[in-house]
Amino acid sequence: MIKKGGIKGCLAGKILRIDLSNKKIWTEETKSYAEKTLGGRGINSLIMVNEIESKIKWYDPENLLCFGVGALVGTLAPGACRVDVSTINVFSGGKGSANVGGFWGPELKYAGYDNLIIIGKSRKPVYLYINDDKVEIREAGFLWGKDVYETENILRKEIGDEHIKIACIGPAGENRVRGSAIMIDTSKAAGGSGVGCVMGDKKLKAIVVRGHGKIEVAQPKLFMQVVARCYQQCKDEPNSKMMRKVPFNLYSDPDWEGWNTNIVIKNGQDDQWEKEKRIKLMNPITGVPSMQKGVRACYSCPIGCMPYMEVNKGKHKGYQGEGFWINTIMGHACRFDISDPEAVVESWLLTNKLGLDGDYVAAGLSWVFELYEKGIINKKDTDGLELNWGNSEALIKMIKKLAYREGIGNLLADGMVEAAEKIGRNSEYYLVQVKGQPSIEPFRVPKGWALAVSTSPVAGRHLRGATMGSNRYGPKPRPGDFNVTDYRNQAKGVVWQGKTKELEDNLGICNYVGTWSGANFLTIGDFVELINSGMGIDLTEEELMNQYAAIGRNLEIAFNALHTDMSRKDDLPPKRFMKEKVKSGPYKGLKIDEDKYNHMLDEFYTLWGWDKKTGMQTRSGLEKLGLKDLAEKLSKCGKLVDK
Amino acid sequence: MKIIRNSNLCYACKTCQLACSYHHTKTFWPERSSIIVSRNPQDGTIKWRMNTTCDKCVDEEEPLCVKYCVYGALQVVKEVKDND
Repeated sequence: MIKKGGIKGCLAGKILRIDLSNKKIWTEETKSYAEKTLGGRGINSLIMVNEIESKIKWYDPENLLCFGVGALVGTLAPGACRVDVSTINVFSGGKGSANVGGFWGPELKYAGYDNLIIIGKSRKPVYLYINDDKVEIREAGFLWGKDVYETENILRKEIGDEHIKIACIGPAGENRVRGSAIMIDTSKAAGGSGVGCVMGDKKLKAIVVRGHGKIEVAQPKLFMQVVARCYQQCKDEPNSKMMRKVPFNLYSDPDWEGWNTNIVIKNGQDDQWEKEKRIKLMNPITGVPSMQKGVRACYSCPIGCMPYMEVNKGKHKGYQGEGFWINTIMGHACRFDISDPEAVVESWLLTNKLGLDGDYVAAGLSWVFELYEKGIINKKDTDGLELNWGNSEALIKMIKKLAYREGIGNLLADGMVEAAEKIGRNSEYYLVQVKGQPSIEPFRVPKGWALAVSTSPVAGRHLRGATMGSNRYGPKPRPGDFNVTDYRNQAKGVVWQGKTKELEDNLGICNYVGTWSGANFLTIGDFVELINSGMGIDLTEEELMNQYAAIGRNLEIAFNALHTDMSRKDDLPPKRFMKEKVKSGPYKGLKIDEDKYNHMLDEFYTLWGWDKKTGMQTRSGLEKLGLKDLAEKLSKCGKLVDK
Repeated sequence: MKIIRNSNLCYACKTCQLACSYHHTKTFWPERSSIIVSRNPQDGTIKWRMNTTCDKCVDEEEPLCVKYCVYGALQVVKEVKDND
């Protein structure tokens, strides 16, 4: 374990605190927080658990908006660029967290800060200007109403420094649309949990950062030896070429296995898309790949997964910007049955511009399309739009309505669960959501994916342990024999992947570069060597996985327990996927078997050290992690199993 | 020797800038780098500049910017001298 005062490198050193209500700015030392949680999200979670009272809701001034830059960010560690944005989740009321790469995080560290914690609420629109130790809360009336692109351009002109880095919200966040993102460097979204909605609620339009300082490591020579070896691993890894060719490489092949395992059609009606539509969308000559004009990488990244897109023909011609992901295919194409490549690219770039979470748009609006198909709503409800499957123009209009709260957009902006309550007529059944957050994820085929998404402490997203169950994912050696559709042994893979993600988010390593998705560039052993030489500490792999990763997840589970009534039932997949079977394709007939899923869930809780029956944390489990005070707090609220 | 950059292979990750700063300072200090990279995510442009403080990493086996560019955008070439 890290001794008090033991950290000697990697950190910028300070946590910057801003009170928007009282216009106060102050700092505190990072070290004592990092000793407990390493950094990044761990520090955010610790501060939230300690400082936000249970009665506080996301829209209260006392809610915190926390930015946590990982411990290794700012150094040359491969893929170290990530920022965690944590706040109260606008969907679940529990822990919210979104993770994002780019260049803003490293800049914050060069400015001298590991974390930025914002409390309070401004009466008028403001933006933060952080230039090393010069920190100002500035008036932002002139930016209010501007989209993300415009905001960036105006701020660059106003400040006159091309090297500033910007995190901002678009009109969606300003209008407190629940699924709003915080956009970093124009095109990288901290998307989940409604973090942009919270930023808008605080009337905070942007956070501009410029840092001129440095990050020092404890043992520079040794650290660079480890870094050099890690980079060589990245170069040598056969998967790197596959990863570097972005989604196009994989999905341009209509027979790629991901088409069978990762895709959900028409809001959940099937998990198989017709081959001719796959080919139309992803044809290398006429489809999405033909619009890729380049590839970009985040800071210090050896993969480079972000295509730069330019729509080159048709009525959408001229749209350009960074970003097109597998989620774009899953969400904006398949969920709406849209195979028009130009429209799919435009709709995704539009979400960036308006500051919307692309997944929220996809899961929420495809639900509305299905309600239209089922006759639960009609043209009178949709402001005259015909929400037929495949109607890309209607989707683009709906995205704008959502961001600006126009017509039906106003109903949907307050949350899809809330909208379902108002619409009634069994509309709730068709809404695919987990813990209140709409979800685009596949559930029926990949069982490890279903388990991770359903149990994610931040509601319905796949990055907290999802695994396809194939050899590309999970620990080596593998913890038993299982493939994508198996229930058996799946929890072991999910817990391992969940723990590595905890570490990656504390250290700020992108999980593409880390342990996820098949690149296998870095191992837990590499993490250990990087932080031991960089931070000047002496941890083992076992301590990282069983102590620090476990602390990270337990802080979030505790936050959920203290702030919500969520229980085991909230860790189940959406009802639809336990009832309706896959209709076509190689996995035809599959659905989630509730008994088998529950068995998998038992194993999952046990592996995390929680009560098998309820999923609640235990006193002995928390005390083992040094979280005795937290156990006491939970016990007082009746949210702890006393064993 | 000379360090040349193939702009078609550059992903604008700024790793070269960061590695260079390590060479000069033994810390990670992009402001003290001989290389400055900026990019515009809206129009896709990348600006890459090297200033006169570059010493080709005299004490290293190869320039660190080249060593850490996994995309192969940077390479060392020998300068041809006139022998007239």
